[in-house]
Amino acid sequence: MEAIFYIAAIVAVLATVLTVTRLNPVHALLYLTVSLLAVAVVFYTLGAPFMAALEVVIYAGAIMVLFVFVVMLLNLGRHTVEIERSWLSPGAFVGPAILAAILVGEVSYLLARSGTLTPPVAEVSPHQVALSLYGPYLLGVELASFLLLGALVGAYHVGSRRAQGRTTVGSRSDRTGLASGGDLVRTGADRPSGAA
Amino acid sequence: MFALGLIGLLVRRNLLFILMAIEVMLNASGLAFVSAGARWGQADGQVMFLFILTVAAAEVAVGLALLLRLYHRFHSLDVDAASEMRG
Amino acid sequence: MNPVLLKIIVLLGILIVVLTLASGLIWLERRLLALWQDRYGPNRVGPFGLLQVLADMIKIFFKEDWIPPFADKPVFVLAPAIIVITVLLTFAVIPFTPLVQIADTNIALLFFLGMSSLGVYSVVLGGWASNNKYSLLGGMRAASQMLSYEVFMGLSMMGTVMLAGSFSLRSIVEAQRHMWFVVPQFLGFVLFLIAGIAETRRLPFDLPEAESELVAGFHSEYSGMKFGMFFVGEYLGVILISVLLSVLYFGGWQGPFLPPIVWIVLKTLFFICFFILLRAAMPRPRFDQLMSWGWKWMLPLSLLNLAVTGAVVLAMRR
Repeated sequence: MEAIFYIAAIVAVLATVLTVTRLNPVHALLYLTVSLLAVAVVFYTLGAPFMAALEVVIYAGAIMVLFVFVVMLLNLGRHTVEIERSWLSPGAFVGPAILAAILVGEVSYLLARSGTLTPPVAEVSPHQVALSLYGPYLLGVELASFLLLGALVGAYHVGSRRAQGRTTVGSRSDRTGLASGGDLVRTGADRPSGAA
Repeated sequence: MFALGLIGLLVRRNLLFILMAIEVMLNASGLAFVSAGARWGQADGQVMFLFILTVAAAEVAVGLALLLRLYHRFHSLDVDAASEMRG
Repeated sequence: MNPVLLKIIVLLGILIVVLTLASGLIWLERRLLALWQDRYGPNRVGPFGLLQVLADMIKIFFKEDWIPPFADKPVFVLAPAIIVITVLLTFAVIPFTPLVQIADTNIALLFFLGMSSLGVYSVVLGGWASNNKYSLLGGMRAASQMLSYEVFMGLSMMGTVMLAGSFSLRSIVEAQRHMWFVVPQFLGFVLFLIAGIAETRRLPFDLPEAESELVAGFHSEYSGMKFGMFFVGEYLGVILISVLLSVLYFGGWQGPFLPPIVWIVLKTLFFICFFILLRAAMPRPRFDQLMSWGWKWMLPLSLLNLAVTGAVVLAMRR
């Protein structure tokens, strides 16, 4: 299990590096998807199978497909790679890389000082998550639904304002809102059965 | 991972890549929450991850809609093109 | 017997049976279609034309495997593999009989949803990598269609999850000992059936590859074995949805007199034939009709189903 964890973690980091450095948008998206899948495996080994499934369903399955959809809608292809190459000089990486390295150093220093390696992790079941989600975090759930509603209306408005024949844009975007709203409902779906 | 997302955010000029970098950062914080939750055996971490998922979904919806507007107006995904306030 | 060895044997068995079935379906579909359309269908090669499958396989293996020069090569090669892999992975969590199951996880249904949403990539990337207008259109259609119908698919399945109180397919089957879920969950069953057809891109939902308008859509540029992968992937998807329908709503392996394996195979074959009948009987809708049907009817209905089921379950528990 531990070996799987480390392999998945390394894959995730490598895929993310590749995501940030790719020129072709679709290739970058593919690497990002691989990274998300690797994170899902990490979640599984951390004893959160429910989150792993949600990561795959929502992140990799819905959000990333939406990205790919937009890339296809704009038909970004070979010519964008050239533009991207002209925009992206290796020198631009230096400053952010130094800053990020400092951050990583700090975090790893703090982690190293606190020392203790994680004990064998306990699995947190969806049941517990649901109980706590609809117990102390009920307000948060309501707020999240408001956020999604706001995003839906906002995306629709931004997408279709003063645009003839572009309504597909708006309706596409509000589908994400709906999709994730559906997933919220889905998350709660196991509550009545599990709680009783 | 968060740091990588940050690099991506700072380096790129293409809005699409910026959005992707934001996704990476959100995901990294979600990973931190879940692993912390696993460390202490609490469900709170996973609840937080759920909220992050919703935030990510909402952010992508609005972000991609904005991106399409940008592209239709400037025929480019360069965020610097939109630096003037008069459109 | 060594449990690991047993598991490997079961795994290989399922793999071989499912793949054989998928290629056998080509023959079955053509024969049944012919039957319903007053034709003969393939009847020359071997008894009842059964060896037609073999002939097709030989043909497809020896065709030139051509990658168009304008295509994005790595993605082009990757796309057909994704669909076969994701669908085959999903078979791992399905309980065929009490004994024949590879992995019994408590998130089996979510696993299925995740894998089917990853399957979208195959079609979308195939369409994009071909670098061809029609393929791109097909890919975009596929993306929006599969993304939206997956929502209803998830929502309609949740009714059975509530009744069984678990995401595990095994306990869902066991909860149907007294009554098949198709009775209390009839609405959910219908919704899942429709969403399932849309997920596998079968007629009447085969808009991504509509031959008459998009010249085969996302797989226009594919030939040889890569096309074969898409083809087999589609049939595997049909088998998968049929098995899931019988597991979720028709009591899985349960049934009187006959051994479990016979029951599940019979139920699955019934649904496969139903899928083929649909193809013979239904016209193809317009794309906007498809989408508005989905969001204006399927979504409210599945939410209603979910809410009512939840209320009833809660009232029963009290």
